[in-house]
Amino acid sequence: MDVALLFGLIILLLLIGVPIAISLGLSSILFLMVFSDTSLASIAQTFFSAFSGHYTLLAIPFFILASTFMSTGGVAQRIIRFAINSVGHFKGGLAIAGVFACMLFAALSGSSPATVVAIGTIVIAGMRQVGYTKEFAAGVICNAGTLGILIPPSIVMVVYAASVDVSVGRMFLAGVFPGLIAGLMLMIGIYIWARYKGLPSQPRASLKDWLASARDAGWGLFLIVIILGGIYGGIFTPTEAAAVAAVYAFVVSNFVYRDMGPLKGEGDTRISLLRKPHALVTAWFHPDTRYALLEAGKLTIVLLFIIANALVLKHVLTEERIPQAITEAMLAAGLGPIAFLVVVNALLLIGGQFMEPSGLIVIVAPLVFPIAMELGIDPIHLGIIMVVNMEIGMITPPVGLNLFVTAGVARMSVLGVVKAALPWVGIMFLFLILVTYVPIISTFLPTLMMGPEIITQ
Amino acid sequence: MHNTESIRSWSDQLEETLIALILGVMTLITFANVIARYVFNSNILWALETTVFLFAWLVLVGAAYAVKNNLHIGVDILVRALPASMQKTMAITAVLCSLLFCLLAVYGAYQYWLPFAGERAWYEVDDIPAPDVLQMLAGVMNEGERWEKLPRFIPYFCLPLGFTLLTLRFLQVARRVFAGEQVLLVTSHDANEATSGDADSENASGSVSDDASNNASGNASDNASNNRGTR
Repeated sequence: MDVALLFGLIILLLLIGVPIAISLGLSSILFLMVFSDTSLASIAQTFFSAFSGHYTLLAIPFFILASTFMSTGGVAQRIIRFAINSVGHFKGGLAIAGVFACMLFAALSGSSPATVVAIGTIVIAGMRQVGYTKEFAAGVICNAGTLGILIPPSIVMVVYAASVDVSVGRMFLAGVFPGLIAGLMLMIGIYIWARYKGLPSQPRASLKDWLASARDAGWGLFLIVIILGGIYGGIFTPTEAAAVAAVYAFVVSNFVYRDMGPLKGEGDTRISLLRKPHALVTAWFHPDTRYALLEAGKLTIVLLFIIANALVLKHVLTEERIPQAITEAMLAAGLGPIAFLVVVNALLLIGGQFMEPSGLIVIVAPLVFPIAMELGIDPIHLGIIMVVNMEIGMITPPVGLNLFVTAGVARMSVLGVVKAALPWVGIMFLFLILVTYVPIISTFLPTLMMGPEIITQ
Repeated sequence: MHNTESIRSWSDQLEETLIALILGVMTLITFANVIARYVFNSNILWALETTVFLFAWLVLVGAAYAVKNNLHIGVDILVRALPASMQKTMAITAVLCSLLFCLLAVYGAYQYWLPFAGERAWYEVDDIPAPDVLQMLAGVMNEGERWEKLPRFIPYFCLPLGFTLLTLRFLQVARRVFAGEQVLLVTSHDANEATSGDADSENASGSVSDDASNNASGNASDNASNNRGTR
């Protein structure tokens, strides 16, 4: 009952327009003051240990930074060109290429809205030019952008791994096949729609063009090799991999692509490093670098402030032994694995409408994790289910981050994007059911690469 | 009025530089540690702890900056649907709730931090060596005994500092809300408005801060990348 009050207060605060982070924090603090004798100082301590106690979370700012360098550095454009050269000649080719580009960019970026912005800005305009409707273009990209958190690296997976203590590496690997399948399902959906509607196709690219664009995009796409290869090769921890990725992205965007920094000339011209060798030094202090750092910093602050407050709430829930109470109640009610997964999906889908994904994972994961373990559900599989639910949460109102950024990018109203995205949300639902009830899709690759998992709980 | 504008842009500059600097330093330290391990076969002992503390500073002190620039995300759909008079009531309630959070958090933060600056000033961190400058304080705070490692009251200071700044920023928001200049505490999601405050929109036109000169360099490069994109 107390807990219902707690969650009621959170929702009430959210609805009157209090920022998510503060809704979570204030509700938790008030709850503790009324129902327990914890001191406010211990809440401050929880706050600080959100950072000092979760080394894994440190990967988040670095992944965000890498993705910011990649977005400001015009990598998106090269990826899109490669995508169009690869799949553009099918019916509805530009839309299919848009999905493909989102999948590729998702492999560089751990965030869905970032993927929508990077790819959508260019592709939506391009699709309208060749005669697609604005709604179709926005709907496709809004959905495909959610792959940003499913295809590794993924900020939401990092948060899940940190909150239930599973390996980030395993989570990343587990996301590969589901990510490919989801992308493929969207592409097939678009292809069928395009046949039916007679959408145009692009001319087939010559092998030479394709190779050139592949090589051009390759510098950016090598990032995913660094991240995954580095983690699975045991070369560095996920956090270090993220930092290395950020530095790599900085180097590529400043010295290879030269889309930002001191070697970017007027307009489309690029200055050779040989002619301006001091750029090796000035690039570190260039306004473009500062700007990328600031943008990544802003996003980190907003995200981590929510996560820190969600960790305070988690502290409250575990202190009150809520997860245990729920586990007992559910097991007493004779809940089987299938029914349990239905409940988890429903809970996350509803929660995902109101909450930012990372914050929601921090709160819900510890609640459902013990039950899942009792029922013999694989923790990695559970993580993927959560991520897919979060994807759907991002494209359903009222708090659908992807809807908002798509609205901004496509210059449509949020409501317009909601309607435009709806048919494709259906595909994501199908995909959710597939992922939920076929665990092998998620667990196959991590088990293959890293051996069977040892569950210690 | 003009005076407050220039003060605001000065504080904006400072905060933005700090945010960029902290994140940059965090990245470089972590990267350097990898290099040290593989190239020089050694380890930067203090790297991990320093990065983690910087991380806490970045977020806790940056949260106040995010309030000022309306970056925090939340639900605006209900507030938007209401008539203007109700909107103001809601905004006042919301800002008062936020201030309540701030006051409780500030109180908790000082309660937690003060002992570390007082009777537990001897309590050191694990790895970061204490700089010599700091030893001047040792006479007053640590009974004349030198610190070998950084005393904990320094990293922990981000808690009281961060929440105090947060309170000040929400007081400013409260003033604007009461004056009817602002109705939303969270990032605006109306497509017609410039949504540069949006958490992820790198492409945004960057007009969220009142003083555009601040972001001028950023906007320039931003627009440039947009242009390249649409070409």
